[in-house]
Amino acid sequence: MEPILLKNINTPDSHKVDVYLKNNGYQALASALKMQPDGVIQMVKDSGLRGRGGAGFSTGLKWSFIPKDPTIPKYLCCNADEGEPGTFKDRVIIEKDPHQLIEGMIITCYAIGAKTAYIYIRGEFAFGTKRLEQAIKEAYEKGYLGKNILGSNFDCDIHIHRGFGAYICGEETALLESIEGLRGRPRIKPPFPAIAGLYAKPTVINNVETLSCISHIVNKGPKWFSSIGPEKSPGPKLFGVSGHVNKPGMYELPMGTTAREIIYNHAGGIRNGKKLKAFIPGGVSAPMLVEKDLDTPMDFDSLAAKGTMLGSGGIIVMDETACIVKVAMRTMAFFRHESCGKCTPCREGIDWTYKVLHRLEKGEGKEGDVELLEKLCGNIFGRTFCPLGDGAVMALRGALKNFRDEFVEHVKNKGCIV
Amino acid sequence: MATVKINGKEITVEDGTLILDAARQAGFEIPTFCYQARLSRLGSCRMCIIEIGGQKKLQPSCVTPVMHGMEVFTENETVKSARASMLEFLLANHPLDCPTCDKGGECELQDFVFKSGPRRSPFSESKRRFHDKDKILSPVIIKNHNRCIHCERCVRICDEVVGRTALGSIGRGAKIMETSFMDSTLDCDHCGNCIEVCPVGSWMSLPYRYKARTWDLKEIDTVCPYCATGCQFTIGARNNEIVRVKSKITTGINKETLCARGRFGYNFIQSEKRLKKPLLKKNGKLVESSWDEAISFIKQRFGAGKKTAGIASARHTNEELFVFQKLIRDVFKTNNIDLDSRFANKWVTSSAIEVLNLAAGGISIFDALKAEVIFVIGSAISNENPITDYLIRQTAVDRRKTLILAHPRRFKLNSSANISLRYKPGTEGEVIKGITDFIEKGVFHGNVVGDISQVGEKFKNAKNITMFLGADILRLDNGTNVVAEIVALKGLLKKAGKNIIIQPLFDRCNQRGARAMGIHPLFLPGLKKVKENGMDCGEILDAAKKGEIDSLYILGEDIVSMYPDAKFAKDALSNIKFKVVQDTFLTETAKTADVVIPGASYAEKDGTFTNQEGRVQRLRKVISPVGNSKDDLDILCSIGGFAYKSAKEVFDDIKKEVLGYKDINFDALDGNGALVKGHGAENQGSRVKGQGASEIASASPRNDTSSNPYLDEYPFLLITGNHLFHSGRLSQNDDVLIKLLAEPFVEISEEDAKELGLTDKENVKVKSSEYEAVLKLRVVKGSQKGVAFMPENFDSVSVNQFYKKGQGIARVKIEKQV
Amino acid sequence: MTDFLKKILFIDLIKGLSLTLKYNLSKSFTIRYPDEEKWLPYQRFRGLHTLNKDAQGRELCVACELCAKACPTKCITVVPMEDNNGIGIADRIAKIYEINLVRCMFCGFCEDACPTTAIRMGREYELACFSLDCAKADKQRLLAPQEIPVEFEGGYVIKARLERTKEGIRVRPDLTKKKRWW
Repeated sequence: MEPILLKNINTPDSHKVDVYLKNNGYQALASALKMQPDGVIQMVKDSGLRGRGGAGFSTGLKWSFIPKDPTIPKYLCCNADEGEPGTFKDRVIIEKDPHQLIEGMIITCYAIGAKTAYIYIRGEFAFGTKRLEQAIKEAYEKGYLGKNILGSNFDCDIHIHRGFGAYICGEETALLESIEGLRGRPRIKPPFPAIAGLYAKPTVINNVETLSCISHIVNKGPKWFSSIGPEKSPGPKLFGVSGHVNKPGMYELPMGTTAREIIYNHAGGIRNGKKLKAFIPGGVSAPMLVEKDLDTPMDFDSLAAKGTMLGSGGIIVMDETACIVKVAMRTMAFFRHESCGKCTPCREGIDWTYKVLHRLEKGEGKEGDVELLEKLCGNIFGRTFCPLGDGAVMALRGALKNFRDEFVEHVKNKGCIV
Repeated sequence: MATVKINGKEITVEDGTLILDAARQAGFEIPTFCYQARLSRLGSCRMCIIEIGGQKKLQPSCVTPVMHGMEVFTENETVKSARASMLEFLLANHPLDCPTCDKGGECELQDFVFKSGPRRSPFSESKRRFHDKDKILSPVIIKNHNRCIHCERCVRICDEVVGRTALGSIGRGAKIMETSFMDSTLDCDHCGNCIEVCPVGSWMSLPYRYKARTWDLKEIDTVCPYCATGCQFTIGARNNEIVRVKSKITTGINKETLCARGRFGYNFIQSEKRLKKPLLKKNGKLVESSWDEAISFIKQRFGAGKKTAGIASARHTNEELFVFQKLIRDVFKTNNIDLDSRFANKWVTSSAIEVLNLAAGGISIFDALKAEVIFVIGSAISNENPITDYLIRQTAVDRRKTLILAHPRRFKLNSSANISLRYKPGTEGEVIKGITDFIEKGVFHGNVVGDISQVGEKFKNAKNITMFLGADILRLDNGTNVVAEIVALKGLLKKAGKNIIIQPLFDRCNQRGARAMGIHPLFLPGLKKVKENGMDCGEILDAAKKGEIDSLYILGEDIVSMYPDAKFAKDALSNIKFKVVQDTFLTETAKTADVVIPGASYAEKDGTFTNQEGRVQRLRKVISPVGNSKDDLDILCSIGGFAYKSAKEVFDDIKKEVLGYKDINFDALDGNGALVKGHGAENQGSRVKGQGASEIASASPRNDTSSNPYLDEYPFLLITGNHLFHSGRLSQNDDVLIKLLAEPFVEISEEDAKELGLTDKENVKVKSSEYEAVLKLRVVKGSQKGVAFMPENFDSVSVNQFYKKGQGIARVKIEKQV
Repeated sequence: MTDFLKKILFIDLIKGLSLTLKYNLSKSFTIRYPDEEKWLPYQRFRGLHTLNKDAQGRELCVACELCAKACPTKCITVVPMEDNNGIGIADRIAKIYEINLVRCMFCGFCEDACPTTAIRMGREYELACFSLDCAKADKQRLLAPQEIPVEFEGGYVIKARLERTKEGIRVRPDLTKKKRWW
């Protein structure tokens, strides 16, 4: 497939506006501004674009929830708080092709009637922030941002808001709280952000990759977009492959490409000719899959059928040297560190599971520990305030489901067998 | 209306009712930690999760509203096991040190674990531990982070109700900590509401620390004796010793909240300095004597007729005050009786009584707060009436309401106000007149900082308006002017068809009751006009100075320390031949007395208080009077020879005399008290005919504060009032409150401080024509320029020494101390 | 006939006297208390309470007042206080710990209620005295180690001596000389 989102990244100085303009940049904006906002929304709806942040909700539908009343201020927030371990797709776009994102954001603002947009960028992306700031400055200079964009009477401002190192701020309502200057932690839903989001006003929150697709949809039409990949979740997708592969990296492929093709054809197969033990299809909160699942098409629905999820598309590959208990422990350590501490099951439950896994890993496992882990998972799952707790439990459940023996071995042998 | 089925039981509730409330209405208990009725919804503890028919996930009932036709299960196995698992999670890191925890026995976590918790936990890891020693965060608050279950009630009550925002969460995940800024010593209102709402023993009261277990306590519901908001609280005593004060979520207008004074100001009761025996002056010295001797001495020496007088404090119960006025009027045969209330003259107080319509029935503060516009003038409400401040703050959150605060000082409630007005003390009348003029003519004059036109607009557009009138206006010589302006504004608004409620804000617990009991030179009980006008406080002292007063009975008032001109008050009192002081402490005034009688504190007697709304509430006896002191009612009865045996008998007599109290059943007074009723008393000729407020106002010349000869030399107007941690001179005897604020200070605005080159917390010299003192400076941003404030609560620097009789508001200059 | 013979030969008398003689020569059952001997009860005995300390000598009692709560006769008074000098195992210790022995019925509920095994029923049972003062066991008295160590096995009669001093009468046991009673 021809790269779409990544088509510019190998061009020298691809982050500069001149280079972007040379590659037909900001043409989509010009043509979108000539359309009615509703037309843009319809176009995105027709394209079948689904959110790339993980949940896979239809983007056009999300936009259409925004009230049309022009007197109410509305906001667009770009979620660039890419904190999921194994995920690094947004970073590439921000650092290499920021104008692609900005153009998408301006079109989105136009479509939903927002005059202000925020980019909530992960605090660790210092370089990316610099690039974005530069790009926004250039966009203002060229008149793509600010008052009366391209003579269309449409105003738009973009602000960058840097996060401070909290994974939970990737959750949309926590992100809003953080922008408002409050403690970054999720809000009660309902009301949903489309009704009362940022500063209690209607707000759309989209992922960087989602917003980057917009300009291409406007340029080439929704038909072209929906022709890529499977019917129900079309479009190009960025797959970040990491772990025990020969060529880890970012691969842009159509949705629905099988895991086998991504790992073996594109990422060059398993390192040192070892055997694949397990792979996580979409960031650590997605339950892991094993070799027999390699032929699953990587799209929202097929993976959901397998009990896992596409998530952010960050594929983590583990060969036979990996100890799954240790993997589970590391995963839980991450979630334990990143739990915001608001709700009981997530705060206490994940801490507890981590402590049990840590003991198992150290070889101090006890009879009944595996059952205890399963029980804890059951007590956490579905009872937490936001999906963070569920994500942690799903990851652990995936490991327990596929590699229960290994956990039992740890209890019996008081140590690792790998 | 929505009909829902809860555990098979159908119930119809209003739309938008939370499932939790609906279930509780239906009689099903759902445990909660983070839910508290008056706080914002958090939904974090997950204790209240319930099953909704057709939904896979369990839902938190404290944030989910009901929907018509919903089927809810709160008691099935899934829910029960989920509940148990939440408790298991909470207990995982909760230290099981219940035997040493002060909350043990009334801990919500303990109760829920007992009711629905797991009996055994598989948790075998090491528990999270922040510290070994509990952290002392303030002189009254101690925190144990290990026990915290992170319901954040403390954070929310501090933010949303108290308005201090002193608490927040630090850290995240299992290391989250709800505490002060960086876990440092608190600089807050020390109200202890965080302690009250804490479901476990994480926030604890330091004065109560390790004093008793809850089941040891004899707990009695009573009323707070400080300001006139009239908060209900529960005193816990062990072995005739008061060990704590606690508020109850179910009772009173305050519900679970209290202020620092109410919650921690009970230690003066057991103070070493309490008077325990009657004292008689023999050879110029006060010596201890017996009760019989003291009482017969008073009976023998106290005169009768016009040369006698009585001054009472508004801290006494209705019954005591009623008997006191009976004593003065019937036994001593004089109408020279007054209340100390900031030593206003009788025309100011009587006109205030008129405009506040105290003879009419009481209006609940909750009804008053339903108005769209709430206007507060003449009270630093956050310091004087903290709980009223909380109630107003919570109301002002509603964006459809407008809160207007008018006061020279900036205080806490200003952060919630829509409009803040600043003016020079003494020009309250101009502020009101400005509003009236703007509504009437569209123009106004006056030196008010703030947008009066905006206030006028809000008044114009509102249908219901509530005005809170503070006690500050009672201090003014031109108080009648202010009252007249209020009457004019009220008339204007009434004419425009608006509902207007005027509520008083008093600084003493029973000010309203005292007036109704006839503690006024112009009124008998029930605010009936006297035949022959008596003298007010100021006049009594004037007469005393001239030698026209022979005997004076002072009931619980410290005139020497509080009368605005200390020297004059002392001189005047020394001219009186026979003075009786009945008080709990040996005050400056008591030191000058011929007989000092030890009375009882609020926890040692029965009776009723009437708060500023007109709500009659029961004061109940908790412990017996300390030492050899006696119940004030007994003392007054034995001096006057009255046959009353209990407060209830007096109350029955009050019911006969005071119409408003007619329907109140003394024994049935519960946590919510009873509002007094009008019964047509307002039309009963109780008005001050011929010398009504408005007439006086129009006749008396307006005080022009700008033409003061001291203006250049003494640029600051000195105002005074209670500090948040103190009330009158009583609280300085409380060793806990004194830890919160031990010495007086002087507060000026930031602008003035900049001009004078002064900085916060430095020592400055405060000088008036009468007195000078060195005090710590406090600088407040946003207060009126040219105004200095000093708390009136300390003997060490008694504010009244700065005053000179006849000069109105004192003027001072503030200099750098070299 | 035989009855007559038995009568004149004093058979019954001899039988009876022989039994008397037999017991006269056998081991005595009388405990010569308090002059020479004293009964040392078993460890399970419920005598005067003791307040225990841990290995480092810190008081185990945290003044939780559960014993007072559990007491059916309400004979225990505990008033807690804060202490940061390491006297107790926690920063909460008993300011007052008092048992009214006249009211106490030695049921041992206090022992069961104690979460720190601070209060234990001891083996001292000589509680009679001449004034009511000694009927109150205060903290000091309860903390003082009892004469018979907890580890010492009971169920013996031990040597003892009655002592009359100015303070009163007491029986001093000699733990080294013990014997089974039966």
